[in-house]
Amino acid sequence: MRRSIIDIHILQNVPPSNINRDDTGTPKSAYYGGERRARVSSQAWKRATREQFKQLLPPEELGVRTKRVVEVLAEHIVKRDATVADNAVKLAEEVLTAATGSTLETPKRKTKEGDQGSDTLPESKYLMFLSRRQLDALADIAIGSSGGGDPATLKAELKDKKNKAQARAAVDSRHSVDIALFGRMVADAAGLNVEAAAQVAHALSVHRSEVESDYYTAVDDQSGDSESGAGMIGTVDFNSATLYRYAAVDVNELHRNLGSGLAPEQPPSTPATKALTSFLEAFITSLPTGKINTFAHHTLPSVVIVKLRDRWPLNFVGAFETPIPKTSAGGFLRESCDRLAAHITEMEQAYGLDSDPTWVFRVGEETKGLADLGSTLTLETLLQQVGSAVSERLESGA
Amino acid sequence: MTTLLLRLAGPLQSWGASARFVQRTTENAPTKSGVLGLLAGAEGRPRDADLSDLAALRFGVRIDRPGSRIRDFHTAENRDTGRALPLSDRYYLADAVFLAGVEGEDTFIRRLYTAVDAPRFLPYLGRRSCPPSHPLLLQDNASLSSLPLEDALRNTPWQGGRGPLSHRPPREQPPAELNMLLDCPPQDTPDIQLRDTPLSYNPSHRRYAMRGIQARHATASAPVHDPTAHLRPAPTARHDSPAPPLATDDF
Repeated sequence: MRRSIIDIHILQNVPPSNINRDDTGTPKSAYYGGERRARVSSQAWKRATREQFKQLLPPEELGVRTKRVVEVLAEHIVKRDATVADNAVKLAEEVLTAATGSTLETPKRKTKEGDQGSDTLPESKYLMFLSRRQLDALADIAIGSSGGGDPATLKAELKDKKNKAQARAAVDSRHSVDIALFGRMVADAAGLNVEAAAQVAHALSVHRSEVESDYYTAVDDQSGDSESGAGMIGTVDFNSATLYRYAAVDVNELHRNLGSGLAPEQPPSTPATKALTSFLEAFITSLPTGKINTFAHHTLPSVVIVKLRDRWPLNFVGAFETPIPKTSAGGFLRESCDRLAAHITEMEQAYGLDSDPTWVFRVGEETKGLADLGSTLTLETLLQQVGSAVSERLESGA
Repeated sequence: MTTLLLRLAGPLQSWGASARFVQRTTENAPTKSGVLGLLAGAEGRPRDADLSDLAALRFGVRIDRPGSRIRDFHTAENRDTGRALPLSDRYYLADAVFLAGVEGEDTFIRRLYTAVDAPRFLPYLGRRSCPPSHPLLLQDNASLSSLPLEDALRNTPWQGGRGPLSHRPPREQPPAELNMLLDCPPQDTPDIQLRDTPLSYNPSHRRYAMRGIQARHATASAPVHDPTAHLRPAPTARHDSPAPPLATDDF
């Protein structure tokens, strides 16, 4: 099968904002090309992408990432069979222990009275990432093997090697789109790990960026005329940036993680293709929401370039290693586009990649420097075309 | 003996030798475990695969641009309760460029070259969120050298130049001397020791052995300035063709 790797390049203007801050409340930064740049961590943008999935995909395609797996699974069990409601928590605990090999503990939380709250349920020690389909499969086992909801029966049944393997298989197949893309680490059962198919880089500003500080005062509405001072004062750090964002998706790995189509009439490439285009759309349109109500920094990318590779992905951040200078006309986008276009051509010619399929989405006259890279499409057409190119590749060898 | 050279360049890299839990540190240069992990991933070895052949390779790295260390404060939150999970500090090297090399038996090194040219798992510089900003393989087959490791590292032009070729600042000069960190031969006394020889990447029991390291210096040679070099047609070698001939010392 021909190898399929997708890389995504985005230029996006973000006005004054503080979308990803460090422990002192300052926007994150990094040195690149010897100059300080605004930085948005990959974790922050992956989280925003996952949140965006909720708008694009039905819940059963997505995973739940929580320590409160017992509670979540108990809910699934009750939803399937309300008659076992009394024992749902116990059943959930048994089947989770058997399936993942993880220890579940009731957290010691101090309440005002000094003892632990009565509603505390066992939790896993770290964030456990399970797809909704996996939770349903576990719920079925819990109900089916417990002889009408008896935890002791379930425990005995799960001692049997075959049953235990079945429980384990339930969490080792039918991964959700987000697990397949971003991976899963199960600390105490390495066999259940899923290798991430997507790589997301930290976003960096294409120009030098210093942090600014907003000094603010707030007036106390109830203070009388004689009190002229502020009710409180404070500062918020912020910066603004033209960001270069980059991600790569190993489509073959995504296909392996998701498996073939569930329905017999579905082509085998459908799950991977759908996951890929959902990722593209979610990654393109999402934005971390740090201090969003303070700055209302809602913006969308001005440029999206998608490439289909057959050997390795290629990051074009090097185009901005020398920071884009301030110009008399102001703004960084025009120069960024010219610089990016030149860099892409140079690198691809030098490494013999210039025949790789390319899709370009761009907005505004300032981005015309990228016009020669490929035909400019609407976002919808871009997603469609990338999707069909990828499924064609997967089908041709599958 | 043949040497495979890799350019490790990217805005952020992170090479931990004792990175665990909430303090994810980075060394000042790529670790042997990090680079061999990249090669093992390129070959598509599963995490519990045998690594003895890789660990036996002689490893060295040249620091072309040391970069600076940054700390990334990382939070995670429980979605349901809003409670904060343990905070972690992750350290990165920002703005660094390295030339890493492994030396070993010819057929094996060529196999690794082919793997890096079409990797099974996508490569990253120590941490998944740190993709390389340039291809790992040097242009014009310069990544395969018939020289021993130390000479191959010494003779490769400086890779630390900034920015795309057409926008590179005209006066940028390499530093007079570059630091190199090489595997210490058993009969010599190492300058430093690091626990970064991988024995197993199996996530349930990762194991590393101590490695003796020798510090050396190399004189940097800037890449010969040829403004049209990047416009030449690309080499036609693809991953399905046999590995290209070895680059010899013709600098």
